[in-house]
Amino acid sequence: MRRVRFYLLALGPGLVTAFADNDAGGITTYSLAGAQFGFGLMWVLLVTAIALTVTQEVGARLALATGQGLAGLIRERFGVRWTAFAVLTMLVANLGTTIAEFAGMAAALGLFGVPPQLSALLSAALVVLILARGNFTKIQYAFVAIGAGVSISYAASAYLAHPDWGRAASALVQPQISWSGAYFLMLVGVVGTTITPWGQALIQSYIADKGLGPRDLGPVRLDVTLGSGVLTNLIAAFIVIACAATLFPNGETINDAADAARALGPLVGPSATLLFAVGLFAAGLLGLGTVPLASAYFACEAFGFERGLSFRWREAGVFYGLLTIFIVGAALFVVIPGLPLIQVMLVAQVVNGLLLPIILIFVMKLSREPNLGTLRSGPILYPLGWLITGLASAMSITFVASLIIGG
Amino acid sequence: MPYLSEIQHRRVIEPNGNEIGTLKDLAVVPQGQFPAIQWAILATGEGERVVKWSDMAQEIGHLRLRTRLEATPQASLPPEAMRLSRDLLDKQIVDTHGAKVVRVNDLQLSEVDGQLRLVGADVGLRGLLRRVGAEAFAERFAGLAGRKLPRGIIPWHLVEPLEAPEANVRVTVPRTKLALLHPADIADIVEEMAADERRQVFEQLDVETAAEALSEVEPEMQASIVSDLDEERAADILEEMAPDEAADLLQDLPEERREELVDLMQKEEAADVEELLTYPEDSAGGIMTTDFVALAAELTAAQAIDKLRELQPDPELTYYLYVVDAQGRLDGVVSLRDLVVAKPDQKLNEVMDPHVLKVEATTSKEEVAALIAKYDLLALPVVDARQKLLGTVTVDDVVEIMLPRGWKKRSSRTLAR
Repeated sequence: MRRVRFYLLALGPGLVTAFADNDAGGITTYSLAGAQFGFGLMWVLLVTAIALTVTQEVGARLALATGQGLAGLIRERFGVRWTAFAVLTMLVANLGTTIAEFAGMAAALGLFGVPPQLSALLSAALVVLILARGNFTKIQYAFVAIGAGVSISYAASAYLAHPDWGRAASALVQPQISWSGAYFLMLVGVVGTTITPWGQALIQSYIADKGLGPRDLGPVRLDVTLGSGVLTNLIAAFIVIACAATLFPNGETINDAADAARALGPLVGPSATLLFAVGLFAAGLLGLGTVPLASAYFACEAFGFERGLSFRWREAGVFYGLLTIFIVGAALFVVIPGLPLIQVMLVAQVVNGLLLPIILIFVMKLSREPNLGTLRSGPILYPLGWLITGLASAMSITFVASLIIGG
Repeated sequence: MPYLSEIQHRRVIEPNGNEIGTLKDLAVVPQGQFPAIQWAILATGEGERVVKWSDMAQEIGHLRLRTRLEATPQASLPPEAMRLSRDLLDKQIVDTHGAKVVRVNDLQLSEVDGQLRLVGADVGLRGLLRRVGAEAFAERFAGLAGRKLPRGIIPWHLVEPLEAPEANVRVTVPRTKLALLHPADIADIVEEMAADERRQVFEQLDVETAAEALSEVEPEMQASIVSDLDEERAADILEEMAPDEAADLLQDLPEERREELVDLMQKEEAADVEELLTYPEDSAGGIMTTDFVALAAELTAAQAIDKLRELQPDPELTYYLYVVDAQGRLDGVVSLRDLVVAKPDQKLNEVMDPHVLKVEATTSKEEVAALIAKYDLLALPVVDARQKLLGTVTVDDVVEIMLPRGWKKRSSRTLAR
């Protein structure tokens, strides 16, 4: 019993990061992947699960050894200019992601006739309510509960869709690659929505804020493997399966997750629409709770400002200021019609795509520092980490190029 | 007053004007109030070269060696030397005045007694802007708004560097300045440190301070600190803690570790702690302390006061004195006030209040907190089913149940000792 308790104290960072990885943008990407290519991209989920586990574990090790988040380590190792660059790009990219969360939640509620203005207000109020509860450790239960809600919604959606489970399972391990530009772009999209700069920042600052140390490697590894290795992509798989079994054979074309929810109605039944919409709303809420927090923490740690939800406004003005800008600013984009929503999100995606290789390279270089002691990445983790960094970077840059050429 | 960022990377020339490289770093031995700059590390075409700072002269725009490079004696850095740029810039330090961990944006140097010395760490916005080359611009901008950029400089004698000078050699830095802070402030600081640094701090503090500081650390972190310390040291610190706090901490440890530590503790303290460990954590028994003052009913007031002089109990245990019979059963309570105003030869059973408000060990801690709050008590006795006095719950044990979490952190005041 005590041993269980000891493990429970260290659990959380991996699970919450894993749940948060399936935010509104993620749900949309997986829906599109299933609707357009059926089970054709299932194998990517398996590969991404491994890749995400590796990058998250390398990051978790950094935080355990140094007690610092990613921003602090970048500052110490790469100097103030790289740090300023990383912070600026991280803020722009994450603002885009935050807007996407609001948009996703608005779309979900839109299915029930709620106007976007009202839903943005509601979403912002909800997230402030959650964050007002205190530190990471305390709100993690709320996050895990919401994440569990997302999981159940999509598991049920997949079940209701009566898929051919055998085919789905075999597609997981047998790549069926179609050599088209659209297929490849979708593949890049799936990887890009799973392995993110903010995800790397989140796990590290979470572990650092929790005060975990080298001794906690065991439980943290379990946490990360369970979260990134299993949960993130299991949920993704349910979404792909739900869409692949219904929308794909009927040739439905959809543009986002809300479309998917709407299209599922006539094919599966109204309960499927409801489940899909609830999942999308909860996923957006989770992203809204974590992305602004990770961003503010990243910026404040880089420049040595007080950070954390246990401080008062007066003591951590910059931290709360940034959180407010994120939540209010992003909400405004959804509330006020006529603002360049699409353009801002496009810019944010480009910045995000450019930032990912840099963040991963930083993480990998940091992972071999001698002061990490036993937490240095070993002969398996290290080369694997670089391989993933290389592949993810190549994809990320291709994606940016396609956005710029396409846009 | 120059800043490190202003002279770092300056050109270094020989007496004849021949350029030999740039200034890479400066080094000091981190001792005394304001350590003197003793060495310069030059980046030359042939790699790093260490020279004495006194062999160089500062001139406008560059630094000049007093003799040619070949003629300048090559110096070497002693192991305790600290390199300002490599070891301090962008790193975390402890601001012992504000009792918090901050990041160094720049370092302030100044001529004191004819010597260039390290006088302060710039942790403010201005230092940050200077580093990215935007200080002048930002200053003008702030000037337009009628404001001045704030300076955030911590005088060096209030700074405690966090990382060991040579990270891969692991020299242990003595944290003398940290030890002077109030234990509650030390606790705030160690919560922001890496596990390894936390361990070092708790190895170096004297046992008493370590015990007090550990009691103030967040419960989740207490267990991990104790797990990182070697057993002997951990047991010493646990002995020094109040038994109830030691027991709470031990509850969070894995079974084997807990037994090891209890075995290493002094018999008496270990027995107290083991007894407390048998109660559920959220019951009166789990939060009570087994320290209390119990007196026999036949004692006179004067004898009781003598007894107190002899026992010198902790302040929170001094106000209520419990009167017990030969079997240790609780008969009454005497407050310190009652005792002092009583006639010296009055017996305790004449002055005591026989109607004692008490709880059983299984009472929930919320109930205990509610009783203490309702009746404005400083402590509440805990008894077993046969009325035997087991311990007391003092008000400081329940304050944390009544306050929202994180509240303690809300005081930004620090207390110098």
